[in-house]
Amino acid sequence: MPTDSLLSAIVLTPAVVGLLLLATPRAAQRLHRWAGLAASLVTLAFAAAAWAQFDPANAAFQFVEKRQWLPTVGISYRLGMDGISLVLVLLTALLQPIVFVSSWKSIRENVKGYVVSMLLLETGILGAFLATDLFLFYVFWELMLVPMYFIIGVWGGERRIYAAVKFVLFTLAGSLLMLVAIIYLSFVHHAQVRLWSFAYEDMLTLSVPMGQGFWHSPQMLLFAAFALAFAIKVPVFPLHTWLPDAHTEAPTGGSIILAGVLLKLGTYGLLRFNRPLFPQAWAAATPLFLTLAVIAIIYGALVAWAQRDMKKLVAYSSVTHMGFVVLGLFAGTLASTQGALLQMINHGLSTGALFLLVGVIYDRRHTRLIEDFGGLAAVMPLYTGAFLLATLASIGLPGLNGFVGEFLILTGSFARYPAAVVLATTGIVLGAVYMLSLVQRVFWNAITQPENRSLADLTWQEALAFAPLGVLMIWIGVHPGTFLSLSEAAVRRLIGG
Amino acid sequence: MNPSDLIAILPELVLVLAGGILVLADAFAPGLRPRFGVFAALSTVAALALRWTTPLPGAVWSGALSVDALARFVDTYVLAALLLVVAMADPYLARTRARFGEFYGLVLWSATGAMTLAKADHLLVVFVGLELLSISLYVLNAFHCDSALSLEAGWKYLVVGAFASALLLFGIALLYGATGTFSLRATARVIGERSFAGDPLLLGALALLLAGFGFKLALVPFHAWAPDVYQGSPTPVTAFLSVVPKGVVLIALARAVASLTPTAISPRWVTLLATVAVGSQVLGNLVAIAQRDLKRMLAYSGIAHMGYALVGLVAFGFDGLTGVLVYLAAYTFMNIAAFAVVSAFSENEDEPHLINDLAGQGWQRPFLSFALALSMLSLAGIPPTVGFVAKFLVFRAAVNGGMAWLAVVGVINSLVSVFFYVRVIYYLYMKPLPQRAPSYSEPLAVRLVAGACALAIVLLGMLPAWVLGAGELAARTLVR
Repeated sequence: MPTDSLLSAIVLTPAVVGLLLLATPRAAQRLHRWAGLAASLVTLAFAAAAWAQFDPANAAFQFVEKRQWLPTVGISYRLGMDGISLVLVLLTALLQPIVFVSSWKSIRENVKGYVVSMLLLETGILGAFLATDLFLFYVFWELMLVPMYFIIGVWGGERRIYAAVKFVLFTLAGSLLMLVAIIYLSFVHHAQVRLWSFAYEDMLTLSVPMGQGFWHSPQMLLFAAFALAFAIKVPVFPLHTWLPDAHTEAPTGGSIILAGVLLKLGTYGLLRFNRPLFPQAWAAATPLFLTLAVIAIIYGALVAWAQRDMKKLVAYSSVTHMGFVVLGLFAGTLASTQGALLQMINHGLSTGALFLLVGVIYDRRHTRLIEDFGGLAAVMPLYTGAFLLATLASIGLPGLNGFVGEFLILTGSFARYPAAVVLATTGIVLGAVYMLSLVQRVFWNAITQPENRSLADLTWQEALAFAPLGVLMIWIGVHPGTFLSLSEAAVRRLIGG
Repeated sequence: MNPSDLIAILPELVLVLAGGILVLADAFAPGLRPRFGVFAALSTVAALALRWTTPLPGAVWSGALSVDALARFVDTYVLAALLLVVAMADPYLARTRARFGEFYGLVLWSATGAMTLAKADHLLVVFVGLELLSISLYVLNAFHCDSALSLEAGWKYLVVGAFASALLLFGIALLYGATGTFSLRATARVIGERSFAGDPLLLGALALLLAGFGFKLALVPFHAWAPDVYQGSPTPVTAFLSVVPKGVVLIALARAVASLTPTAISPRWVTLLATVAVGSQVLGNLVAIAQRDLKRMLAYSGIAHMGYALVGLVAFGFDGLTGVLVYLAAYTFMNIAAFAVVSAFSENEDEPHLINDLAGQGWQRPFLSFALALSMLSLAGIPPTVGFVAKFLVFRAAVNGGMAWLAVVGVINSLVSVFFYVRVIYYLYMKPLPQRAPSYSEPLAVRLVAGACALAIVLLGMLPAWVLGAGELAARTLVR
């Protein structure tokens, strides 16, 4: 594979297959399922090829592609991959085939639309991780919106319309202001360098004027516009209200992608753009974001504890976990930032797995209420084992991935912000409380409902979908260096240390 | 008169002649009626080909017309819109039993008026072009002469249009009083020679010109006619009405602004224009939310879109004008796609075109629904559609012109608009098909128009360099 178009191959393969599928007859559902899976596997292979050829010692973007797009405006089609984007691209490319396998049986209507939406969504996500031109980044960022709207709105649960519209309006509310900020950034570049550009590398050389106060400080305003878009996506505490709805109403595959990678785009954006482009504003906003992160950690855990619906519980646990990521990012040391990045991957794996497994039980019983279950361990041993593994990874048992990420975040942040770390640690305890009590109520206890006596264990497809996630949870837990070493140089470059 | 003058207006001549032939043929050879659409389309293509093969001499007819790159851009835009409208009109007229030569003749003449207006460098030619455009449209609006709604639309457009023309004419008179010339070039020279700051005659002229043009553009506060006229007119006419007059009037306004330099006359000009732009965006988007009829919703959306496009004129300069031009091109495709689908999704012209009736159609008629959904996303400004590129360019012009607040207001309005555009998609794809689903026809021509527009929306959205380059070339004729 020549490296000069490897990134385009990663980004565009899903969309091209998706658009070709549009021309196929609706009834060819087998074709659509297989084509979707094949496209996502080819994308995964391309991503793996990038991993194989990636040079971890090099902090700069690799496999760089640059093509003219709108030269007079300073817009070009630029893709590039550093260690940070590499691990996130790998996560995305890994989760996508899992999504297709997991929805093999559960999506029965409009399979074509589902597969096409998923493939377009994948292109949007991968493109946003790999774009190194701000305009291109924005295009990919918004490209994710419509497929996700369809995935929630067409194949979702009962309150899907409400959830889908809320998702769209929340996301757009943030991102449209980011568009103005991107335009303004290019204006600043022109003012300082006399050259129109939207290239990320060019923006890194700027020093955006800080000014006085908030409303007269370009840097603060731009930081706020970017941070709002990303904070909604993460989601950071008071902006999280779209998340439980979207996660709960989305079909299983949509929830996996939403929790697994879409949320990461928020934290990725904070790290990629806010941190290096607006360093003084970042410093000024750190206390605010640390406070919000700690609130999210504790509040999310408490709300998750109170849930009766398993999917909602997992959704609120995302608020907690993403709170840890924000904490690590804003604490700003190498260890905490690396931990945050690893935690983004971990959360993608464990929460993706949990949504997958909740989807399995929902397909069997058409209920997700915790009280409808109990004693499943006796009926579904394999399923119980998988769920337990994902749970333990999620609450940070040493030897599994969650532990490494949380540990790095907390130790990396402690020297600078001990109070925040102490408070955040209570979130870990609460995490164990709500997850273990979930496991207890669903899997142990006695079987109360007769329907639960004859539930089938994991099918080979479901097991196949779970297996790579389970393997990675253990792999990262035992040898996190495989992934941490990939991103270290890039993280050092972004945090400037 | 020298031959180059005639060559420069060959496309217009072709359209005028073709229109005349069609009207006469209707009287003397009514058996040819089914071929009229093809003939009109072919003459449009011929006019387009002539415009791109004849030279661009600049000022012709003693400086009354400017046949320049800007004129070619606008002609292309008008003729492309005309071609799409003629194509979608034919099955529509056949279905409503109104396949008459007059329809095509009037549409062609109306387009001729539009093309004249866009090149006019002389205020009286501006007026003549505008009247030719408008008077043809008054008749077309009322073309379903047995439908009360259509007649109402014709009447409303006539009364409001006549009022607007009067304002415009009065403005032209004041301008003549102040500068002693009708020629825009000469006006620019006179204004450049001595200061007219605060000159009462010119202030009045500016206000009247803006009001006259504002009516045609349906800008707030001159917008009230739009919903009724959009709703009542035959759908192909609405499609034409929603893109062609607005585009050329914006260009006429741009030509006037470039030569009058209103900022030198009154510092409040920018505030005034920005207020009109913001008002149109806010009102158009807020009221569109409440609409249940698609055509009325598109009318309010059109008000808002002219508000966005006007942002480019507020910022003016090279960026602003380029933005306006790209905006017009984008707006043509997305609006005509929407109206083409609307014309297919209606059983009977007298019935309202309710958004409710789209329920579940997305899976029933995938092709047209996809085109409609795409046009809605483009109108909402979501990438990778051309609507996004257009909005991006005008907002960029505002930011670069030191008016970032206009861009912020614009994106907030876009957010509001997403609500009602996305609702159409919601009805198409997420609502179940009703028990008794309406049976709609889906003629080939409409499929072609919708498909062509959808393709343009996506291709120009992903590869905007082509339309941007043409827009930049055209903008350079007015500003450096």
